[in-house]
Amino acid sequence: MVKALSIEHLRKSFGSLHVLDGVSFDVQAGSIVGLLGPNGAGKSTLIRSIMGIVEPDGGTIALNGQPWNREAVRGIGYLPEERGLYRDMKVGEQAVYFARLKGMGRKEAIDALRIWFDRLEVDGWWDKKVSDISKGMAQKVQFICTVVHNPPLVILDEPLSGFDPINARRIVDTVRQLASSGTSILLSTHDMQSVERLCDEVVLLNRGKVVLSGEADALRESGWSGQQEVVFKGNDLAFTNAMGAMAELSGITEDSAPGLRRARIKLRQPDRTGDFLTAVGAVVEVVEFVKVRPTMESLFIGAVEQSTAEIPSET
Amino acid sequence: MRGSLIGTVILREWRTRVIKRSFLLGTLLLPLLGVGFVAAMVLLTKGTESHHTVLVEDGPGLITRIDPVTGQYVPRCPGCFPEREHLEFRFTREAPEDSVWLAEGHTVLVEFDESVLQNQAGYLVYVKSPGMQAKRNIERDLSKAMEHARVMGSTELDWAAYQRLKFDLNLVNRESNGGERSKGGGEEVRGLVGFMFSALLFLVLVVYGGLILRSVVEEKSSRVVEVLIAAVRPEELLLGKVIGMGFVALTQLISWSLLSTVAFSVFRLVYDSGQFSEGMLGQGEVPADLMTVMAGNDFTAILLDIDWGLMGVSTVAFFIGGYLLYGSLYAMVGGSVQSEQEGQGMVVPIIMPLMFAYLIGGGAMENPEMGALVGLSWFPLTAPVIMLIRVAVGAPIWEVILSWVLLMLTARLILALAGRAYRHGVLNDGSRSGWRLLLQWIKGHGR
Repeated sequence: MVKALSIEHLRKSFGSLHVLDGVSFDVQAGSIVGLLGPNGAGKSTLIRSIMGIVEPDGGTIALNGQPWNREAVRGIGYLPEERGLYRDMKVGEQAVYFARLKGMGRKEAIDALRIWFDRLEVDGWWDKKVSDISKGMAQKVQFICTVVHNPPLVILDEPLSGFDPINARRIVDTVRQLASSGTSILLSTHDMQSVERLCDEVVLLNRGKVVLSGEADALRESGWSGQQEVVFKGNDLAFTNAMGAMAELSGITEDSAPGLRRARIKLRQPDRTGDFLTAVGAVVEVVEFVKVRPTMESLFIGAVEQSTAEIPSET
Repeated sequence: MRGSLIGTVILREWRTRVIKRSFLLGTLLLPLLGVGFVAAMVLLTKGTESHHTVLVEDGPGLITRIDPVTGQYVPRCPGCFPEREHLEFRFTREAPEDSVWLAEGHTVLVEFDESVLQNQAGYLVYVKSPGMQAKRNIERDLSKAMEHARVMGSTELDWAAYQRLKFDLNLVNRESNGGERSKGGGEEVRGLVGFMFSALLFLVLVVYGGLILRSVVEEKSSRVVEVLIAAVRPEELLLGKVIGMGFVALTQLISWSLLSTVAFSVFRLVYDSGQFSEGMLGQGEVPADLMTVMAGNDFTAILLDIDWGLMGVSTVAFFIGGYLLYGSLYAMVGGSVQSEQEGQGMVVPIIMPLMFAYLIGGGAMENPEMGALVGLSWFPLTAPVIMLIRVAVGAPIWEVILSWVLLMLTARLILALAGRAYRHGVLNDGSRSGWRLLLQWIKGHGR
């Protein structure tokens, strides 16, 4: 399968500061890759290198299997974190301008924009000046300008910042639809919920290096500590006695559903799940038994803390 | 493809500035104001010349005698008081009360005594000032009459002999190229015309340079620039912006020229139809056409002396070169600063050569052929302003072309350097700025 984006050993320094230090990863066609990292990890420099705004010192970037070139970059849909619109221009006129810069003809741009304006409910704002519309509305217009030319690769840097929950959900759904129709997406964000909801893969940068990468599910699975959760109806003491020495109990809390209890345990012998369920099932009614996998946030924090301890600071 | 991208940027810059109420108003109003100014000068010249009856109080009897037939005082030298359209002289030897000479219908009283021949001074008494032109004519006529009195007081001369001997040298200009001579003259006037054009160019370069600066700063502060340079190279963006804004300036200049021509033609048509002359002229007077009237006025005569075609082509050519050069520099500064105020401070050294050229150009009106001008008209930073003055005076065409070529080559070089600095500058959102950082970026260093 052709990779929409392939980065190999990318390096960039500003003076003595190594902002990118041998970064490598791929974005498969039609997938959503989350680019994560604390502030100053090198995410924006990486994205600017891909977009040709910053010239890397070394390494290679390939777009759709081809070596990096300006024409291919122009096809990328790019929503930078620091984004804005011309305040004195009308919304529609401005969107047409950005579409034209992406190579669309005027009529083609207007037709496509009308569809997108309707889809994200900004139709009716076409002839308004940007200075007269709300920040959220401007954010939607910027998103439309990013995707209107139907780019094969979309790079979104903090796309949900500034959106209310309803519009954030609308953008998340749209991104998911874009990916399902074959668009590859590189999503840089600090919003871990959207990473969990959207990303097929994640790449975690810290101090210019990739410290964690892979499929989101696989990473969460590999980060599983063995903890499981039992939701049951019955007596806490009976549950604890039945469990005996088969598992360590972290605690029992009240579930949000009335009459249900939630216990967090870790089996001493992971292969004896059946014995455990038989023993506790005899004294309480087991409603649910699930693995407690780490959240993206906990994986992120853990990986950053570990790598920070390993990678010496350069400043 | 890249060309069409620059074209898209140019079109946006042009559209967003030209299709605007303020631009349309400014473009429409200025020619109307200009023609209105000329019209006002012409109409004021004609319309405000009110009739004056001047009573000359010749107490010592220097310039008057009693006419034996009428018994009234008349000038000893009637030819010294030619018939003038709005001026009539009467003479007396008694000193009348103000209320008396005013009641008799006089508007101005001239008083002098015997010492007038030594100190050459008298009094002009009036209720309402007669105006400069009327005062000049009164002084001229009375001076001639005094001159006549002096000559007649001399034993060696008579008036006719004096008139014969009096000599005024008039030098007619002829330009020589070593072999042939051609009709010359009017260098000072032509220098003034050239200076007017160079002043206009100076104004346009500074105003539109400032607009480029503002536009770049606005793109930086509104964060549009990162989206733009993801699609267009910074150098192309800069070029598109400078050219787009240049087209706005050209649109305005051309609109002004066309509208001025139309407005002037309409005014001329209306004026020559005689509507303005009605009520201003006496019976039997034939109204002069507009051109004749303008030629009679010092200022408007200069306008008629302009070779508009040649000046137009030269102005556009040097505007293009000068604008590309200075526009790039303004854009470069705009890319390196965080606010317009900061940018205004940084452009001062940039416009110094232009300012210097403008000031030198003012002096060139006195002596348009001075040596310093030739050097400055070749120097690209001052050429746009200075060469226009030399073009108006009549510089050799090869010098004009070579100077323009030098200007264009320099503009191209500056454009390339500015693009390099702009690439670094537009993404620099830090607090650091200044010329040192800008020079680093030009060299290709720095973040």
